Amino acid sequence: MQTQDTHYEDAQPSDATTDSALVGTDLEIGYPTLEEPVVTVDRIDVPEGEVTALVGPNGSGKSTLVKALARQLSPDAGEIRLNDRNIQSFGQKELARELGHLSQENTAPDSVTVEDLVYHGRYPYRGFFESVDDADERAVERAIDLAGIDHLREKSVGNLSGGQKQLVFIAMVLAQETDVLLLDEPTTFLDLHHQLRVMETVRRLNEERDVTIAIVLHDIAQAARFADNLIALDDGAVYDWGPPTDVVTEELLEDVFDVDAAVRYTPDPEIVPKRSL
Amino acid sequence: MAGETRTTGESGTARGTTGWIDATLVGLICVSIAVTVLGGLIQVSFGAYSMTLAEAWGAVTNPSILFNGDAWRAFLLGTALPEMNRRALIVWNIRVPRVIVGAFVGMNLAVAGAVFQAVTRNELASPYILGVSHGSGLGVLVTFVFFSGLTHLVPLMAAVGGALAFVAVYAIAWNGGTSPVRLVLAGVVVGMVAWSLQRGLFFFVEDIGVVQSALAWITGSLTGTDWEQVRLVAPWSVVSILVAALGARHLNVLVLGESTARSLGMKVEWARFGLSAVAIVATSSAIAVAGIVSFVGLIVPHVVRTVVGSDYRRIIAGSLFVGPALVTAADVGARLGPSVVAVAAGAVILVAGLALGLGGLLGSSAVRSRYDADYTRPAGVALVVGAGMLGLAWLAGGPAVSETQLPVGIVTGLVGGPYFLYLMRRRKHLGDL
Repeated sequence: MQTQDTHYEDAQPSDATTDSALVGTDLEIGYPTLEEPVVTVDRIDVPEGEVTALVGPNGSGKSTLVKALARQLSPDAGEIRLNDRNIQSFGQKELARELGHLSQENTAPDSVTVEDLVYHGRYPYRGFFESVDDADERAVERAIDLAGIDHLREKSVGNLSGGQKQLVFIAMVLAQETDVLLLDEPTTFLDLHHQLRVMETVRRLNEERDVTIAIVLHDIAQAARFADNLIALDDGAVYDWGPPTDVVTEELLEDVFDVDAAVRYTPDPEIVPKRSL
Repeated sequence: MAGETRTTGESGTARGTTGWIDATLVGLICVSIAVTVLGGLIQVSFGAYSMTLAEAWGAVTNPSILFNGDAWRAFLLGTALPEMNRRALIVWNIRVPRVIVGAFVGMNLAVAGAVFQAVTRNELASPYILGVSHGSGLGVLVTFVFFSGLTHLVPLMAAVGGALAFVAVYAIAWNGGTSPVRLVLAGVVVGMVAWSLQRGLFFFVEDIGVVQSALAWITGSLTGTDWEQVRLVAPWSVVSILVAALGARHLNVLVLGESTARSLGMKVEWARFGLSAVAIVATSSAIAVAGIVSFVGLIVPHVVRTVVGSDYRRIIAGSLFVGPALVTAADVGARLGPSVVAVAAGAVILVAGLALGLGGLLGSSAVRSRYDADYTRPAGVALVVGAGMLGLAWLAGGPAVSETQLPVGIVTGLVGGPYFLYLMRRRKHLGDL
């Protein structure tokens, strides 16, 4: 516990001048069926205009935290603020216009076409009676373009591979045109090519459209390469956070991931795992 | 289409309002309308006062009634009926309303079924999945047993029983929110209790006539329906179907799953409750005029989905026409009796088997591409089944119109079984919404 606190005190945002798009304070997040909260966090920041990766071993509370940040789960205690406004005060559609969220598992009927699915991303912009307008169409075109799935648009979802499906769902969230995006393990279960496609889309989104991104990643090496900030979670608490060069250390891998590994800085951290602890 | 949508704004609006209508859907709707009209005409021409199809058509399209404001006021508002000849009176006052009520019942149940299949994310859901059928059955039995003086209120009691069951299901399922599984389980609970009570009440009925009319109610029957039933069912149907059609887009988002729907900005609990409530209104009004017609709400959306795909805008539009077609056709079966149905179905199956077999033998590309070289088995089965049905009908004394009418719900139930059998044989995975 002591080590964690010291780490936390030392941590600084990568750039002191950037504000945080999403801030959680004094959070206790749990599930109705459990007595104890799964995640207890004093403060968590998702800095505006940057890519923040949440890393941690299985069961460390990454997904739970993201669900709370996306208001899929309401915290037992504490407050989450989006653009300095309590997230609970947003209307459902209003929130969906500010904050996009892609959960870990996504399903769609097999016979839906890719284009129709991406159009669902425009749901928060449409009233009960309204139909699609030009703005919706442009947003969908941009999203399809960004995700690089133009060649798939007429296909039905059932005929896509897992990786293609993931890109389509990402395009759907992109069509929401939000300033903040939460992605829960978008690269898990994908082959290397599609993992990189997803990460490149995320990077491009951040650079070209200045979207703030928080992304849960399983692979810490990938997180270190693509993210501006890392938040390392261990057993439902923040172990450390900051730029990858500061956070990714042999000590972190040992304490949090129970792995004996060598870390080289070239200048990006490179991890060579040796054995489990 | 992709190229056009980028260059012109016009096609963009078309995409939202009509772009989802495709040739398959239009074809399905046309076939359904043809079946409904043909079934309706057959229905109109049969009975104690018999006439040919042409005479029936003449009576139905009789301009002196079709364009008579007084007659329509009498039908739709219940004012005094104007003078008309005997044939017109029988056709317009007794037989046409039965067809119209059947069409409304088919529409309501089919659309409600489509809504419930989306809300529960289960393709085997029906309008009765949330305990509605057994709830209204209980309402009917309670009225017959305890309030035998108030049997004219049976339609109302049936609808109220169904609605109460729905409320009870929601109350049981609610635990800081609902989920499809909780709703379905609560539906089973409420349905079982209502079913048991309803069966128990049968033991308190002494009059066999009351038992029969109670049974007709809980199997669903269009016998004796009148313009009064049209007036009862029409307004509720129009409103609930309109809302369901507008809600189709929301159903498409709802089937993506709760978490995704919420991330997209949907108030999932409200949408689920609102759409279910609308479907319950449609179901209850159908029950109020025809009793509990089974399987329509299950098969129709399922058939439509198999044909047009899983876009709920298409499914609802298709269900709106296939539902009336199924109920009208089934009611013709109920009206004409089992032997006529067996002859008709046997002939259709026999012809289909012959066409398939001959097509295969002559090397038709349509048959080859669909069945490969394996066309002999379905063709053989169809020939045997068709011949068997014709043989049975012949043994039973030929296609005579039976004296007693079956409840239409029995016919729809008998259609439902073979349909799912066919599905299980033909499709590898059942379960895509």
